Amino acid sequence: MKRFGILLLALAAFALGQSPLEKLKSALDRLRGPAHQAVYALTVERPGSSRTYRLRVYTDGERAHLRVLEPKAEAGMAFLSLGQDLYLYDPRLGRTLRLPPSGRSERFLGSDLTYQDLMGRDLEELFQVTEEGGTLRLMPKPGAPTPYGRVEVYLKEGFIERVLYYDQRGQAVRELRLGSYQRLDGAYLPRTLELKDLTRQGYRTLVEVTEVQVGPVPERCFSPLYLERGC
Amino acid sequence: MSLLRLAWRNVLRQRRRTTLLSLVVIYVTVAVLFLFGFLDGYGESLVEAYAEYVEAPVVVAREVWWQDPDPENGFRELPAVAHPLVQAATPRLSLYALLRSPYRMQGGVVLGVDPQGEKVLSRVPFRVGEGRWLQGPGEVVLGHRLAERLDVRVGERLVVETGKEALGLLVVGLVRAGVGNVDFGGVYLHLEDAQRLSGREIVATHLALKVPRGKEEGVAKALNQALPEGLRARGVWELMGPIRADYEASRLFYVPLLSLFMLLAAIAVVSTTYVSVRERLREFAVAESLGLSPFRLAAQVALEAALASGLGLLLGLLLGYALLWYTSTHDVFGPLMRLSVELLPESGLSEHLYTALRPVYALYAAMVVGLSALLALLFPGRLVLALEPTRYLKGE
Repeated sequence: MKRFGILLLALAAFALGQSPLEKLKSALDRLRGPAHQAVYALTVERPGSSRTYRLRVYTDGERAHLRVLEPKAEAGMAFLSLGQDLYLYDPRLGRTLRLPPSGRSERFLGSDLTYQDLMGRDLEELFQVTEEGGTLRLMPKPGAPTPYGRVEVYLKEGFIERVLYYDQRGQAVRELRLGSYQRLDGAYLPRTLELKDLTRQGYRTLVEVTEVQVGPVPERCFSPLYLERGC
Repeated sequence: MSLLRLAWRNVLRQRRRTTLLSLVVIYVTVAVLFLFGFLDGYGESLVEAYAEYVEAPVVVAREVWWQDPDPENGFRELPAVAHPLVQAATPRLSLYALLRSPYRMQGGVVLGVDPQGEKVLSRVPFRVGEGRWLQGPGEVVLGHRLAERLDVRVGERLVVETGKEALGLLVVGLVRAGVGNVDFGGVYLHLEDAQRLSGREIVATHLALKVPRGKEEGVAKALNQALPEGLRARGVWELMGPIRADYEASRLFYVPLLSLFMLLAAIAVVSTTYVSVRERLREFAVAESLGLSPFRLAAQVALEAALASGLGLLLGLLLGYALLWYTSTHDVFGPLMRLSVELLPESGLSEHLYTALRPVYALYAAMVVGLSALLALLFPGRLVLALEPTRYLKGE
């Protein structure tokens, strides 16, 4: 019991000693989760309509392979994110295309999510982090290629609870909310994500993470050659 | 001289007929003058827009870049260009990029420029309506309509992304050039930023040259004989792209249209002359019996037609040139051009259009007089030539 208390104190001291940037990094690690396979249900809501995609996701926390399972019209489409490189396989074209880095900021399957939201780590790369009252306040680094004027990351016990993106006039334009986190083999992964476009009413995207299997993902999953046949 | 006096007296004798004939010719003359003036004014407006805003009077680039305007086909080092008529030269680096604001994303062509060099060559730096022109790296100047579309303002950051690099640049100015390409698609950034965005060892994609107005094609031609192999110069006329084809097609379309106009006017003149001659056959028979040869009579008929249409031509020239003078000094077509710019923002159209005013249009319009005289000689003239005076004098 005494040893547990010491460990807890040590952890608390570690947490207190963390810089805002370290806090952000550790929170992003929890957001991306451990190496795992899962099925993500992606619901894209628009005023008067809604569309749901089911995606098979393979990720090692840094790289990600996503494959559309449903609906039928889009089934077979696959995406591979390898750092700055992004690959797309479209069964209708029967070809794998390499998208430029600019493609990372494009909307994923017409949703409010970008490839960057799903796989990237822009928040720690493009912003300077400070902490104000337990909230991480991110300001763009000079010349950083981000259109946002400020980003606020709300943490709760080291987990990202909400991310608010502001334009350069101080108005919130996007909001990402994370649902409860699931503990997986010593690591964490959110169960739900909700992304709202605050400039347009009724534009919302929900992601539900299900059928999670934690464990190493075969290396072939991160090869563009396996985008077409699957891994 | 007496024949001319006789013809003139006949023209004045039938005032109503002459007035009608003249009206037709006035209408056609004004139409000819106006259409040529409008077309030439449109062409001049296009050339000015491309030479002063969109492109340059002359552009030198590698042959491969002309075929595929990808930055990788640009210059690794700037070529030396020498010609006595070249007044200034500035490097430019154009590349396709994605422009991203918090609200919108749009593709476009960005132009990396030397801010000072550009001031000598282009009017764009002097058309910054809000903010200021570029001063150094890290800045971007946008066309005001593009800025509206992207919803970015002066003092805000715009993300410019290419396949190789991405930069967040500060919007320092908005251009109001009144030229579609510039206002709707102009993105100007420092040459160093463009070099960084290209992600390659490219210093520029092309060299823009300033040469005196009207000498563009000649200088380009001369340069092409002197430039090293693999480089090619193009004059502004060649840089205009599809809009040039549209302009040339319009010219080709106008020539048969105006010819038809003139022919119809000449036919109107001749048909009236024909009726007049038929009514005056007895008079012609008397004149012939008094010793006037049939050929002189036919010539008199042709002269009458020429004089009547000439009268119309003179009045038409007065009216037509007055109209051209007004439209060449007042922006009458501004509202129409603004609509065209909205409709075709990437065609390089200017929001202002002034007609051209050239003396040669009078020569084109005068063709109707010649045509009328010729037709009068061919048709009513033949009637006079085939006249049998004895039959008419007997009253048959």
